[in-house]
Amino acid sequence: MDIGMNKLQAGTKTKITFYAVILVFVVLAGYPIFWVVMSSFKDTADMANLAPYQMPQKLYLGNYVTAFAGGKLARYFLNSVIVAACTLLGIVCAGSPAAFAIAKLKFRQSAGLLKFFLMGMMIPVFTCLIPMFQIYGALGLRNTYLSLIFPQIGFSLPMCIFLYVGFMQFVPNELMEAAAIDGASNWRIFLTMIFPMAKNSTVTVVIYNFVNIWNEFTYANTFMTDSKMKTLPVGLNDFVGEMGKRDWGGTFAAITVAILPTMIIYFVLNKQVMEGMAAGAVKS
Amino acid sequence: MKPKNKIEPWLFAAPALVIYVFIVILPILWSLTYSFTDWNGIGKLKFIGLDNYVKLFSDKTLWIAFKNNIFFMILGTVFQLLMGLVMAVLLSSISRGSNFLRVIYFIPCIVSSMAICKIFEKLLSVQPRGVLVAITDLLGFAPHAFLSEPDWALTFVTLIDGYKFCGLYMVIFYSAFMNVSKDVLESAHLDGCNWFQQLIYIKFPLIKNIFFMVLIILVNGCLKGFDVSYILTKGGPGNASELVSTYMYKTAFSMSKFGYGSTLGVFIMAESLIAVGIVQLIQKIAARKDE
Repeated sequence: MDIGMNKLQAGTKTKITFYAVILVFVVLAGYPIFWVVMSSFKDTADMANLAPYQMPQKLYLGNYVTAFAGGKLARYFLNSVIVAACTLLGIVCAGSPAAFAIAKLKFRQSAGLLKFFLMGMMIPVFTCLIPMFQIYGALGLRNTYLSLIFPQIGFSLPMCIFLYVGFMQFVPNELMEAAAIDGASNWRIFLTMIFPMAKNSTVTVVIYNFVNIWNEFTYANTFMTDSKMKTLPVGLNDFVGEMGKRDWGGTFAAITVAILPTMIIYFVLNKQVMEGMAAGAVKS
Repeated sequence: MKPKNKIEPWLFAAPALVIYVFIVILPILWSLTYSFTDWNGIGKLKFIGLDNYVKLFSDKTLWIAFKNNIFFMILGTVFQLLMGLVMAVLLSSISRGSNFLRVIYFIPCIVSSMAICKIFEKLLSVQPRGVLVAITDLLGFAPHAFLSEPDWALTFVTLIDGYKFCGLYMVIFYSAFMNVSKDVLESAHLDGCNWFQQLIYIKFPLIKNIFFMVLIILVNGCLKGFDVSYILTKGGPGNASELVSTYMYKTAFSMSKFGYGSTLGVFIMAESLIAVGIVQLIQKIAARKDE
């Protein structure tokens, strides 16, 4: 039997209607992003003479020079990279061994511990924001990278542990017991065996959290007041605020630069990104 | 596996546990404490008992924000659920190009809400003219600055927030449809079941659990909605697009009312726990009906 058959038993006319409807929505979804990238290549003349939806006459790169002038954008970019890298490292390093203990080491409180972690998924960030602001203020952590790294690790751990436990509990015990008989300690088993095996879970955790960390707004807006320490999303706000009224070209270029890293990752790994984001959403 | 001793599992869990307790659990308890105080963030804590909670009921701005939040939740949930579901149904029914179209449709999900807001700010701008105004000009309508009109601001905030996540729900529903057993669909086809009947009588009932799960994510997410309203309209004009979270944020960080702000934070938590409880109750009733 033909596999294509059970995809659709509708006639050609219905199929054409489907494609038409899909196309309309896909174009609507993609257009705003396409528009900002396209507009970032317009020079002043194009900007003034063409309708906003018209394509630029030629590829003009001057807007990117404007956007990077003064070095602010590069600084925001660097801050975002540092925060994202440290947070991801922290999530994986803290989350995976905890999941290993819950899934694989027999101890009485393991189920309770998992529940305790999962409770975190129900807690809105806004409920914790004021105490965090006060505590970080008292510890002198405001306007340091740590004030963005800590809260994002803490709030990502429940989902991270849940995903790892979901994978690790199905790793057969026999494998580990054989290694244990050969004299490997539990740390060794975890590091050389279980963690490498859980590669797919790590990819999901990293992708889902990277997109969220890169785009994070609330903490950055609350804890980073020094313009040198701002990350891209918050920096973009100031940037667009200053420039937005007089220089749309530079504004569009800055927005394009800000969304570029996630876009590049997405175009290379689109399948993993879609699946990772969906898995993360379902679990949180 | 047996741990080496009683402490070993806790050593594995220690880093995560310490971070989690200090970052997530302690602040909640702290927040609960603050919510019984009158405090500007610097001076001494002044305990005022339940006064803040009593104040919730007479706070007119809160009830405007709450009403807006309910509107935001209902319109946002319906919009994203429908867009996700319809696109998943259509995309899982075509064969050629479905992958490519899904990749494009998903793009807004990976763009930051800040970038999305800034793009829409320009798209909807009146002076200089954005795309929407240029199009309405062509069609001969008067230009509208939708984001600064009280009647429209909240609707636009809701739809722009929804626009960002439709693709995510499309992917979730799409993979649910792909998991429906081919054998079942084939035998239904042999029995003369057409495409539409398959959808209504086989596919929809089989993905019911996923449907409720998405509903919970959406209701929960919408009640905590913040970014788009805060960035795009700052809750305005006036309080036209104020949400509970933006009101809480302003109360604490613009007006330095940390005590009452904490009470609002507790309100947000209670609100989303109750809403999720209601959805789960509906799910249980729906499940019982089937039996």
